[in-house]
Amino acid sequence: MKNEKLSLLSFVLPLVTLGVVIALWQITVTVGQFKIHLLPAPLDVANVLADTAMRENLWAATCRTGKAAMGGFTAAVIIGVLTSLLFSQAKWIRQSGYPYAIFFQTVPIVAIAPFVIRLFGFGLSSVMVVSAIISLFPIITNTTTGLISVDPKQLELFHLNRASRWQILWKLQFPSAIRFLMTGMKTSSGLAVVGAIVGEFFTGGSVDGYGLGYYIRLTSDLMKTPELFAYMICSTLLGVIAFLFISLVERFLLKRWIA
Amino acid sequence: MRYSVHLYVLFFSLSLFGCNNQNSSTPTAAPGTPGSSLERVTLALNWYPEAEHGGFYTAQLEGYFAEEGLKVEIIPGGPGAPVVPMVAGRTVDFAVGNADQVILGRAQQANVVALMTPLQKSPRCIMVHAESNITSFDQLENMTVAMNGGRSFAAYLQSQLPLTGVNIVPYNGNLIPFLEDKNFATQGYVFSEPFTAKEKGANPHTLMVYDMGFNPYTSLLMTSDSLKKENPVLVQKMTRACIKGWQKYLADPAATNTHLHKLNPELSDEMLEFGVEAIRPLCELPEAGELTFGQMTLKRWTTLIDQMIEAKVIEGDRVKAGECFLALPGE
Repeated sequence: MKNEKLSLLSFVLPLVTLGVVIALWQITVTVGQFKIHLLPAPLDVANVLADTAMRENLWAATCRTGKAAMGGFTAAVIIGVLTSLLFSQAKWIRQSGYPYAIFFQTVPIVAIAPFVIRLFGFGLSSVMVVSAIISLFPIITNTTTGLISVDPKQLELFHLNRASRWQILWKLQFPSAIRFLMTGMKTSSGLAVVGAIVGEFFTGGSVDGYGLGYYIRLTSDLMKTPELFAYMICSTLLGVIAFLFISLVERFLLKRWIA
Repeated sequence: MRYSVHLYVLFFSLSLFGCNNQNSSTPTAAPGTPGSSLERVTLALNWYPEAEHGGFYTAQLEGYFAEEGLKVEIIPGGPGAPVVPMVAGRTVDFAVGNADQVILGRAQQANVVALMTPLQKSPRCIMVHAESNITSFDQLENMTVAMNGGRSFAAYLQSQLPLTGVNIVPYNGNLIPFLEDKNFATQGYVFSEPFTAKEKGANPHTLMVYDMGFNPYTSLLMTSDSLKKENPVLVQKMTRACIKGWQKYLADPAATNTHLHKLNPELSDEMLEFGVEAIRPLCELPEAGELTFGQMTLKRWTTLIDQMIEAKVIEGDRVKAGECFLALPGE
């Protein structure tokens, strides 16, 4: 599977989609006669974005949430890859550990929030922990799959040449798992943003400033729906930026496989 | 997650039992259309059934709704129950909420109107540990305070107090962080959180938010502007029955509390009893006033709107106090 080439179309087409979505949005509001607290019109949201103080606030909150998501994501990649390397060593290790990796995918954050807070306190550290928990599973599952699904013929070649377990891991399994890891990272990058926002719902603080999660909850409670939409757009953008960043990394890292 | 599950259950039950007048299997009448013996209406609560909703259940149990020709279905709420949009959008006919929510709604084109209030004083408090020796709001320096930034009272406190060094953290309805830290304060309702904290061995002290002058009517009955205009008679009937229910509940809560315990088994009998004891003084009418039970005044609504503008919760000139509530005759 080759990566598609970047072209003018890869920028134009998303913009066309954006235009269509905004048009449909406006039509929905106009035809449905929705009140502003249910569904604000694109112009209402644009008005919010036009306010300088609001823009500064949006930027600061986006940066804070972005920082937490980046920290959580990095932790998830490190922990996830280490776990996968362990899982790849033997079937019995995988069978013992895999079911519990699913814990991280399903755990309700509200249930573990008091414990996380006890360990890390309210604020950035706890938010990063929540973000890492939520974004961990795709890394583990993808990387493990990559590590154990090497070409049997290549494996045979390594065995014939009496390669050590260490050499098989680093020269055969790990390189072939990189593409899988990248797929996991793309899924996780969005989850890390979601995780940071959820983390802010439950474990955020005010000392290191408020992130998007705080403002999403605040504007939702105050029924300030146009502002809420503005914060939502920022969290989407954060997800898009994270995804693009991983895609770029992939392009550089996988150059030799793509060529 | 818990929140979304409750919302789904809520919306699901609304779609099943809400004012779904097309349901032809049972002969029902749309609110306000005469013809059947009892008019069916829906009342959405803003939280799980508890003492703050007692009077509404009493009206149901004692047959006060039926006396007015109403068959009221009470729909329990939960965290984030969107009562104002539901009433404004006519998904439900009536709902229970607080005065600041009515104002927030009206500021965002969700035109709802308050009809009667059981509580004249807000039960909202900041709960601290007695060991912290904090007895007033201005002593909250350097504490960790759990409060939901999206509540008007929190915005008001933040606009009025310096809160130097205070870390404001999310309020999740969970008291564990409070129980673990003597320098932790949390928002609460005076009849709820302090009881749980005591049960868990803490020694809580409450700072009442109304002492700072911020005192929205609480657990009030609201409906939409449109229903009030279309069917004023129905609105009057509902209001009368709820007032009667609340007066009865405050005088004799036992039967209703048994019912509430059945609906919400997590509420112990002791907790409900404590709840009524704590709510009773909050329902007392202001001394020199000429109010009867349930009534509200233009002055209080005007003050609240001004405070919410000051706290930058709403913009000025968006909401008129006189439109927020069913005024006294002659006001």
